[in-house]
Amino acid sequence: MKHALWLSGLLLLSLTFSCEAPGETNNTDEKLYVVATTGMVADMIAHIGGADVTVDALMGPGVDPHLYKATQGDLSRLQKADLVVYNGLHLEGKMGEILEKLGRTKPVVAISAGIPEAKLLEDTLFQGNFDPHIWFDVSLWAAAIPALTEALATSDSSLREVFERNGKAYQLELELLHDWVRDTLAVLPADKRVVVTAHDAFSYFGRAYDLEVRGLQGISTLSEFGLRDRVDLVNFLVERQIGAVFVETSVSTKNITSIVEGCRQKGHEVRIGGQLFSDAMGAPDTPEGTYTGMVRANVRTIIESLNEH
Amino acid sequence: MDAFYIIATAALFAISCGLLGAFLLLRRMAMVGDAIAHAVLPGIVIAFLLSGSRDAVWMIPGAAALGILTTFLIEFFHEKVGLQTDAAIGVSFTALFALGIILISVYAGQIDLDQDCVLYGEIAYIPIDLWITDGGQIMGPRALYVGAALLFVNLFFLFAGYRKLQLTTFDPAFAAAAGISVSLWNYLLMGAVSVTTVAAFNSVGAILIVALLVVPPATAYLLTHNLRHMLYLTVVFALLSSFFGYWLAVLLDGSIAGAIVVCSGLFFGLAWLGKGIRRRTDLVF
Repeated sequence: MKHALWLSGLLLLSLTFSCEAPGETNNTDEKLYVVATTGMVADMIAHIGGADVTVDALMGPGVDPHLYKATQGDLSRLQKADLVVYNGLHLEGKMGEILEKLGRTKPVVAISAGIPEAKLLEDTLFQGNFDPHIWFDVSLWAAAIPALTEALATSDSSLREVFERNGKAYQLELELLHDWVRDTLAVLPADKRVVVTAHDAFSYFGRAYDLEVRGLQGISTLSEFGLRDRVDLVNFLVERQIGAVFVETSVSTKNITSIVEGCRQKGHEVRIGGQLFSDAMGAPDTPEGTYTGMVRANVRTIIESLNEH
Repeated sequence: MDAFYIIATAALFAISCGLLGAFLLLRRMAMVGDAIAHAVLPGIVIAFLLSGSRDAVWMIPGAAALGILTTFLIEFFHEKVGLQTDAAIGVSFTALFALGIILISVYAGQIDLDQDCVLYGEIAYIPIDLWITDGGQIMGPRALYVGAALLFVNLFFLFAGYRKLQLTTFDPAFAAAAGISVSLWNYLLMGAVSVTTVAAFNSVGAILIVALLVVPPATAYLLTHNLRHMLYLTVVFALLSSFFGYWLAVLLDGSIAGAIVVCSGLFFGLAWLGKGIRRRTDLVF
């Protein structure tokens, strides 16, 4: 019993110490503080909020959102935030569930909630499960702007006009980008409109810009690909005489290299056409570090490598 | 309050895991936690295939069912087939994990479905995953209550079954001669382990739990071979690791689970050094 007493004393002591900790400090800064999960989401907030909003993205460049691990600092960022914005549709996995719960005590917005469900790609087998990679269809991504503008305006109503003006401007910019992507890709002849990537992130892209999209892995970057998937993909590339496949910045290149090797054994030369940005943007302060820059870079990479052959 | 919530929750789970882990360690089954972490995969895939939902309400029962099945398989391979425990663990969990991978590739390749994204919790988010009553009253972090309830159940189990667990662990032959059902107590212990680990995975994540099942009891085992003292020391190391681990994570702005595991590893190293010095100098500590 003596031991048990001693132990509860130790427990009490460690708990007392943790109480004295410099805990949460509420945001005293005048500026609206918004926390986003992915870089794409943060970029949209930065455009709508402009100079009046501070934005932090939890996931940095090159991070696979399916596999993200939280740090101690993430918690204080979430606690301090006036508004939390995430992608939704299970892109953030378990974290999305927790952010949804956080929504009971502070304003939390899912970008995907601003997009009409009819425009989302639903899984053919399991209803209610949608492809989360919505940012690759620029017009779809732009459709989320009004809801986000409204959320920002609700958090700080004195800036409503500024947000609405910025939101409209960004919407216009994205509409122009959408047209640019469509027009640029229009030069590709019908037999070359095939994009093969490491995992199934580009379905929205394919649907919006009339390209056939094939991924080696499923949506989850953890799902293993079957031997037959590999054989099928190699046969597909050989049959259609497709000259290039693409790797992704946030997914390992190993699997796609095995496809290139498989094609070579069948006498068909396939090159790795370059890196596409899929689940994360490029480094900050580079052109690819913004959403529009990342989309442009992807389109250029695709055009350059598919048109060479 | 965030620091308090996280340390308190980590400590509650650490004590539960450490106490059960001490018995696992003595039965040479320390890695059963890691086995369960992998083997729950088919459980969540089947739960998803049946329900079409990735909600925790479906995932946890699916995972728990497979957790229990895993421990039964391990016992079966060990008792009836005569494999050593490590081989029994290896055969059971790799087969089940592989089954899960096949199920995903065949049925759910287009759905993001694995333990990481539907089951494992994150200890850093404990303070924002609140239990709010229907009346809107905020009762504090949900994981804190789960941890407290688990610890209560485990303490009850260990107090009530202490003698029998001790006997079946150290001298199964004698226990059997004395009329104690060795396999019943094995199954009870393993059942407690699988329920505790699955609930803990969901609240604070996997790697933390796998480590807490092994490292604090192993540290205690370095210092004493008396079961009662070993259990007390396990609790001490579980508490110290949770407390210092959290502050290490604050210092580095890193993963809290990672820092707690590193701290428990450091205590293991210190205990080993201390033991070496004591032996060499013949000092009595």
